[in-house]
Amino acid sequence: MTRPDGVPAQGPVVSPRVHGVIALVEENCTSCMLCARECPDWCLYIESHTETVPATTPGGRDRSTHVLDRFAIDFSLCMYCGICIEVCPFDALHWSPESDYSEGSLLDLTHERTRLSGWRATPAADGPSDVREPPDPVSGS
Amino acid sequence: MSALVRAVREVFADDVDDLLDVATDFGSTTIHVDSGRWTDSLEALAAAGATYFDFLTAYDELENGFCVIAHLSTPDASDHVLLRTLLARDLPAIATATSVYRGAAWHERETHEMFGIDFIGNDHLEPLLLPDGFSGTPLRKDFVLASRVVKDWPGAKEPGESQEPTTSRRRNLPPGVPQGWLREESTPPNAGSRHDKA
Ligand code: SF4
Ligand code: SF4
Repeated sequence: MTRPDGVPAQGPVVSPRVHGVIALVEENCTSCMLCARECPDWCLYIESHTETVPATTPGGRDRSTHVLDRFAIDFSLCMYCGICIEVCPFDALHWSPESDYSEGSLLDLTHERTRLSGWRATPAADGPSDVREPPDPVSGS
Repeated sequence: MSALVRAVREVFADDVDDLLDVATDFGSTTIHVDSGRWTDSLEALAAAGATYFDFLTAYDELENGFCVIAHLSTPDASDHVLLRTLLARDLPAIATATSVYRGAAWHERETHEMFGIDFIGNDHLEPLLLPDGFSGTPLRKDFVLASRVVKDWPGAKEPGESQEPTTSRRRNLPPGVPQGWLREESTPPNAGSRHDKA
């Protein structure tokens, strides 16, 4: 077998739609825990506390709100299924095509909120899938 | 109708009851056959041009049994089908596909290891991926995910919580862990004494 042409000499050339790493939009996250509960790998850690927001109108009621203390994804366990992104009702997570974050130790693959927020700078491109059209199911061979 | 589907239909011309279903979804055709006709169907597909064996695997349909599927294609990928059959849950067994596609041996080995399905005629169903001495069939849905008892479930917390819940309210049970396995309910059989902090 010959090697296909176009094998890149340096880094791989990937589609901008590639699912490389997960970015966090902190201000959208309500600490609702849905992503942490749906993650099949149990590799998404969230800690938060409750704060009281005083009423803004006379006679109004105080509100309580959840404040994020920790948001971390352990990419040594993550299988990039994207379930956390799909399940988030607040669009607080999205893909970035970046993949250049290898580490010498598995422990360093846990990205805390600051690092996850950093991936926001490179959102993955949206758009139609580049999967080829399936063959026409009714035509002959 | 594709040549592959036509070829399978021809095999079943006299016993239509064994050809359980032919369905096309998203451009992929699935042919569901009686498990006794597995080899016949594979032979017909190979003869009709599907000489490329892509993969064979299974999935757990709970009380209905186990589905075994094989994906077969023409070498130029112009036509492809999923061949599927259903096996009974107790003693699931089926004829090996290796008599038609030798490359199926490795896939049957893995499917045997993960689901406990027997492939009659494949004499080399030794463990492939699991650690030495592992017992159990981990891709069956009734397999207890013991590691989920050992590790704290990150989803057990409620919004606004930082620590494990301190109140006595019922905790959320993680998927894959049956009732009675979480350590505050009872001591799990395999968690040892490292978890007496509860
Ligand atoms: S991509 Fe999947 S495995 Fe990774 S953190 Fe999200 S839900 Fe978990
Ligand atoms: S699902 Fe979205 S909003 Fe809820 S905790 Fe996860 S990231 Fe935050």
